Amino acid sequence: MTQDDEHRRAWFRREILPLEPDLLAYARQFCRDGQTDPEDLVHETFARAIACKTWREIGNPAGFATRILRNCALDALRRRKVLTITAVADFDRIEPIDETPGAHMMLESREELRALADAIAELPTQCRRVFTLRKVYSLSPDEIAVRLGLSVSTVEKHLVKGLRYCSEKLGRRIGRKSKVDEGRSWSARRDHDAKR
Amino acid sequence: MERETGSRREAVRQAAALWVVRLGDPSCSAADRAAFEAWRDESHENEAAFEREAAAWARLDRLRAMRPGPVRLTEARPDRDLLAPERRLILPRFSRSPWARGMAAVTVAAVVGAGVMTFGSGTAYATAIGERRVVVLSDNSRIELNTDSKVVVRYRKGVREVKLVRGEAVFEAAKDARPFVIKAADAVMQADAGAEMAVRLRSDGAAVTVKRGAVALDPEPTERKDPVRLTAGVAAIYSSAGHRSRVVSDSEIDRALAWRQGAIALNGQSLEQAVAEFNRYNRQQISIADPSISGLRLAGYFQTTEPKSFVSAVTSTFPVRAFEDSDGAIRLSRRG
Repeated sequence: MTQDDEHRRAWFRREILPLEPDLLAYARQFCRDGQTDPEDLVHETFARAIACKTWREIGNPAGFATRILRNCALDALRRRKVLTITAVADFDRIEPIDETPGAHMMLESREELRALADAIAELPTQCRRVFTLRKVYSLSPDEIAVRLGLSVSTVEKHLVKGLRYCSEKLGRRIGRKSKVDEGRSWSARRDHDAKR
Repeated sequence: MERETGSRREAVRQAAALWVVRLGDPSCSAADRAAFEAWRDESHENEAAFEREAAAWARLDRLRAMRPGPVRLTEARPDRDLLAPERRLILPRFSRSPWARGMAAVTVAAVVGAGVMTFGSGTAYATAIGERRVVVLSDNSRIELNTDSKVVVRYRKGVREVKLVRGEAVFEAAKDARPFVIKAADAVMQADAGAEMAVRLRSDGAAVTVKRGAVALDPEPTERKDPVRLTAGVAAIYSSAGHRSRVVSDSEIDRALAWRQGAIALNGQSLEQAVAEFNRYNRQQISIADPSISGLRLAGYFQTTEPKSFVSAVTSTFPVRAFEDSDGAIRLSRRG
């Protein structure tokens, strides 16, 4: 049981999590009227995807995640008290994300390293220092607390803050050119519309 | 059904991030672990949020590759400001070749036991090109010598006197009944107990940067003027033409003293200045053959002992070509 749970989580990490930037771009298209937060859709999609007990049978994780997200968006639409015309009309015109295997590659390593360093550099000074000592120099929170004259719980708070900042940033980052081009006009892409 | 809101999502992710941090802490207890599993079992939302934060945390482990090689003689002090915004790296992969770390270790080891000469009442300590060394004096004051530098120490009954004869050094004055006096290029400085400052000789005069405590600088001891008091975070330059001082930020000081970690930190310096800086540390000299490229601006963090990494960073970033002469000297010129 626990063993199987661990396999399920590993599958989620491997196949679903790296889709986040694409899913977010996809989710934005359902939220054009500003009534739903696209991040919430992705968050819910993750929760539903990791719950899947039959993950072994899923041949196309990107297609799977896309369908979940679409359902989440539909549910969000149903929960609304006021429906706008655009929200419903947009629904049928949204192009699915690229489902070809291997399209969602991680960033090339050097570029990734730079992206990570950039994210850390953007943190407030004390938070950045704590994070640097933890992740670059692998000092324990106790050691960092002593070195910087902080309490362990403050060190923890800085680490949580830094991690939250980086995970949001990484979640939004797309390493390759996105297949979901939000700039294109809607009429020009009708021929390619998803018919699900 | 209750509609999810951003604050709820944020609260879940926040809780997940805290668990990631806690579980990564070596002092995490079995009770913490059990509490975590109970939390995770509460919902798939928690479970997924944890996986998301944990994945980001694991990706951040790659930052360890940014750690500069161990180069200090006395201690390896982690640099908390390594990733400060002013120190953006040009090409991090260059900063860590095993070759460079090996060289640094060899250089530091070679210093031990060499370069000490006692004459008269003073003792001279010196480094060759590419060397650094830390000298701890009898009163626990410390002198850290940069490349190609020399100091003469004269401790007498009423005064502790050190003279910077060549190059650059950081002085840390220990507490003592006798004043700690530094002489450099005709000027005399008296450091407060506990003060830490860097002095670098220039072609005329010297530059002084106070990192901690305070220093009284008398640029012209022959004139009867009051000394200038420099406090922590102030840098001064003096020469035969006079002196001026300005306030500098901590990160600026750290950049100027990056050599203590075996590094050169550039932050918008011209290629000409950067090359001059590298040439201080290496026998293998770099020259600029084409004046039109001297003004290119650079930022980045480099190993002092790795001019070739610097050169390849420059040639891959700018339209610059490098040519190595038969004697090993590197010439830079414009490409295309």
